[in-house]
Amino acid sequence: MRAQRLIRVCVIGAVGAFLAACAPSAPSTQNAAAGSSPSDTLTIATTTDVVNLNPMLGNSRTDSWVTDLMYPRLLTVSANGSKEPNLATKWGYSADGKTGFFDLRNDFAWSDGTKLTATDVAYTINTIKTQKPKGNVVSGFMSNLDKATAVSPTRVELQLNKPDSIVVPEVGFWMTVVPEHIFSKQAKIDDFANASDWVSAGPYRLSSIAKGQSYTLERVEPYPIAPNGKPTLAKVVFKVYPDVNTEILALKKGDVDVIANALPPAQVKDLKGTSGISVTEVPGLGFTHMTYNMKRKPMDNVLVRQALAHAVDYKSIRAVAVQGQAVTANSSPITDSLKEFADPTLKEYTFDPQKSKALLAQAGVSNLKLTMIYSLQDPVIAAWSSMVKDSAAQAGITIDLKGMDRNTYLAKTVAGDYDIYAGSFAIMDEPVSNMALQYLPDGAINYSQVNDPQLTSLIEQAQSTIDKGKQKSLVQQAAGYVNKNMIDNIMYVQNLNVAHSSKWDGFITRPSELLSIIDPASLANVHQK
Amino acid sequence: MPPLAWYALRRVAHGLVTLWFAITITFLLLRLLPGDPATAIASTNMDATMRQELLTKYGLTESLPIQYGKYLVQLVQGNLGTSFSQSEPVSTVLMARLPWTLLLTGSALVVTVAIGIPLGVVAATHAKGALDRIVQVVGVVGQSLFVPSVGIFLLYILGLKLKWFPIGGAHDENVYGIAWYLNVGWHLVLPCASLALVSLGSYVLILRSTLIESLGEDFCVLARAKGTPERIVVWKHGLRNALLPTTTLLGLQLGFMVGGSVLTETIFAYPGVGRAIYESVIRLDFPVLQGAFVLLAATVVAANMITDLAYGLLDPRVRTA
Amino acid sequence: MSIVLADLETEPVGQQESAAGATWYAFRHNPMGLVALGLMLVLVLVGLGAPLIAHYPSGFTSDVLQSPSSLHWFGTDNLGRDIMAEVVWGTRISMTVGFCASLLAVTFGVLIGMLGAYFPRADTALGMVVDLSLSLPVLPLMILVAALAGPSLGTIILVISFFSWPEVARVVRSQALSVVNLPYMDAARVLGGRHRWILRRHLLPAVAPVITVTVVLTASRAVIAEAGLSFLGMGDPSSWSWGRILYESQQSGSMTSDWWTTLFPSAAILLLVVAATLIAIAYNDARNPRSRED
Repeated sequence: MRAQRLIRVCVIGAVGAFLAACAPSAPSTQNAAAGSSPSDTLTIATTTDVVNLNPMLGNSRTDSWVTDLMYPRLLTVSANGSKEPNLATKWGYSADGKTGFFDLRNDFAWSDGTKLTATDVAYTINTIKTQKPKGNVVSGFMSNLDKATAVSPTRVELQLNKPDSIVVPEVGFWMTVVPEHIFSKQAKIDDFANASDWVSAGPYRLSSIAKGQSYTLERVEPYPIAPNGKPTLAKVVFKVYPDVNTEILALKKGDVDVIANALPPAQVKDLKGTSGISVTEVPGLGFTHMTYNMKRKPMDNVLVRQALAHAVDYKSIRAVAVQGQAVTANSSPITDSLKEFADPTLKEYTFDPQKSKALLAQAGVSNLKLTMIYSLQDPVIAAWSSMVKDSAAQAGITIDLKGMDRNTYLAKTVAGDYDIYAGSFAIMDEPVSNMALQYLPDGAINYSQVNDPQLTSLIEQAQSTIDKGKQKSLVQQAAGYVNKNMIDNIMYVQNLNVAHSSKWDGFITRPSELLSIIDPASLANVHQK
Repeated sequence: MPPLAWYALRRVAHGLVTLWFAITITFLLLRLLPGDPATAIASTNMDATMRQELLTKYGLTESLPIQYGKYLVQLVQGNLGTSFSQSEPVSTVLMARLPWTLLLTGSALVVTVAIGIPLGVVAATHAKGALDRIVQVVGVVGQSLFVPSVGIFLLYILGLKLKWFPIGGAHDENVYGIAWYLNVGWHLVLPCASLALVSLGSYVLILRSTLIESLGEDFCVLARAKGTPERIVVWKHGLRNALLPTTTLLGLQLGFMVGGSVLTETIFAYPGVGRAIYESVIRLDFPVLQGAFVLLAATVVAANMITDLAYGLLDPRVRTA
Repeated sequence: MSIVLADLETEPVGQQESAAGATWYAFRHNPMGLVALGLMLVLVLVGLGAPLIAHYPSGFTSDVLQSPSSLHWFGTDNLGRDIMAEVVWGTRISMTVGFCASLLAVTFGVLIGMLGAYFPRADTALGMVVDLSLSLPVLPLMILVAALAGPSLGTIILVISFFSWPEVARVVRSQALSVVNLPYMDAARVLGGRHRWILRRHLLPAVAPVITVTVVLTASRAVIAEAGLSFLGMGDPSSWSWGRILYESQQSGSMTSDWWTTLFPSAAILLLVVAATLIAIAYNDARNPRSRED
């Protein structure tokens, strides 16, 4: 009996010891931030966890929000969709177009005291070019870049092997500058997790992480873009809520101050009507579209594509699926978000099933059956896909909806294995670059599978000229061509709505979910009323 | 060797084989089903050569037996590999999350047993009476609940409206020392309640029926005939017997809960391993997935081993089986 | 005078009840069981008669997220579709998934369970497979397979049944074990009966009661599993199941601000599982002579 009891006690003791060993332990007060109070701490909710904190690797949206507060971009985007200075004050090309340049501010510094100079910029550019870190989007813009050189502490020059009007603005916006003296110590950037001892150029710097839960950043002074050089917040905390319903409850209760991810359209009205909560509209910079695979019959026939385009009820989709929070794109890849380059004469295709039938008859096509792929991860598209199916049926077109998980969707997209592709781009920021990526035969996002010599020629000309006027004219011609020949069915631009507690003021709104109201400039400026 | 030692040895061997089985199943599933991680990590400008490079780097281009062999060797050395998407060792990624799942499911189990035993006793001793019916209803309804709905409902009423509990998370940021442990407990209440409600249902029902049966057995009749007070008949004799099969059930329940916690962790923003699995599935992060399944299987195996050993301690009949 | 015994009319003194008859009698007199059976029948009828009760929910209207009213008894969802129609059609899909997955799991599980009990040599191997499968973390594996294989009703049914059969095998095996060594089984073997005949004619009926209960319980668990998978986005996007209603509610952030989108599908799931469980309990109580009401 006694032996039994003894064994019992030992078993329980062993279990207890094991649990105690792997139990999480309380943080000690040594890590406490000195003198911060709720009135200068901003808590931001997000639905996706941080994947990795190395800005040179492929990143989820939350990763970018956090790393943007530590690693500056050369350029940012203004409300009308054009590039604005950030770390760079001036940018452009030499007269012959074969050298690009950025002139930098001289008042940025890293949090360990080292000055931020052109060396950091050149290092970042060259490392991306040579190592091609996994998932990095910037390397795609560097095909004509040979090398970047820091010709002075405030000037970086990019040597190109031929004139390319895309490199400078795209590298300027999409690349975040990392500290050369830290990152160059790594043999391979791909293996660098950047999970501790962060060196930040401001306005904030990561101080502690609770994986899967919260990411805390603290103020970095001086930060040149903040009022009086001092960011207004002592702390910024990103908290992860995988479910958007819980996230909204947290905002309503006051556990968080801002919801960073765009609100589901259905909740905007409810939150606008909730006292204590303000909803800000953030202009969209991208668009949502359907493409018809031009490598497959009968989509190679322009009449068929136009028929398909006339069988979509654009107004209802915007009114219902997107709750009126979307604007037309005028069936043009250069939407009104890019005010300088948009062509006001282009018009959206009308919803006219009879016209569709006529066009199909003209093309000699009947009983058209097509499959449409879309990602289940995109709730808005999932919502209107059935609307597209129903309205196409009115024109005698049968569409088989194939919603799929993101990975299968990506695989099929890459392989070109679809009749109709539905998807969206969050940020299409640079007109010439956009057109090249979308409509050149080997463009990375040529989901129309288009190979049209006329279109290709227009785009290539725009790529190789640095004359803004010529660029605009060529881009507008190309966009018009896409519109008339229905090479890409751009359906709408979704404006985003973000919610925050009314206690806070001073947010600066920039387009797209990436910048939104939580870009570095905004967070360095926000304060309680 | 005494029968108890043999029994223990057999159970440990059984546990190791189970672990190996779980590892192999996961490994095979990941590699035989469609989809490759390079596509998941791919940015839009990843061309075919880059994809091949990535796949080679992850070791996914080698033949299946070689990959399997390498993985087993790695595992035996205690190395769970490196995450594809996070560039960090899998053990770092998972050990930050596993304790929370253990805490959540462990506390749910404790609550289940702590509330389930009294409820089961009440039901069995008032068999066919009103109290019994009430407990049965609680049991049946409990195991029919859909966890996310229960969770969001609890958050809405007790979190937002009454403000008694926090909305999600495992703990707050600026809390230290003893207060931190209390804070963790406060955050644990609602998620634990959601999980416990559901497992309580089946536990109570099974305990009730096994207890009713053992209370009708001869040894209980004899005890009553001897004049033993009813209370002792129930708690000392009947319950002791009824707990045996239900203890094995607990082991099974733990397995179910540990896996099923993914829904609870999603709703309550609880940073556990279940949610990490879900995210890794989306990103096709094989090493994290494999590592997570290894850890989960190890947890279940350990729990089952403990319950079986306890069973062997309590019930001599099993040792000679 | 000779009296032929066969001519005498004999009155039976009493009826020897068959076991099945006694079970059915006890079940009939258990109010809980009857109500549950009735509820289940209602659900089955709703599922079968879905086209007669409501229009297939599709398309969109502008009555987005309306609370329950006389026009829409269960309110509308984030695309303005009638939720009652969704629940009605969801009954069809959810119950189909539940019963198909259950039947698949039970067929396979019964086979393995019986074989393991009947052939002791195969038992160690089979028992090991069952035990091992029971230790696998079920939901994560289901998520993994569903994510990799792509969402469709077929995949979901296969995935759920693949992870449900071990439990069935375990239960059937222990029931079969209690029967397999009884004298009548030995007698059958001595009489020279072939294995297949013995299994079908003697063992199967002995485990039949357990099968009935298991089918019902596995089906109800399958419905919950399907709801869980759909909720996480792994479900079939082109068919209406209760899980899909909850998924749409979750994705559009409506779970708390528009409570009807959460309540009604959850209540439907609750009703189905409660009915199934009560039927199983009442059946077990009726079958067991010790706990019959008489």
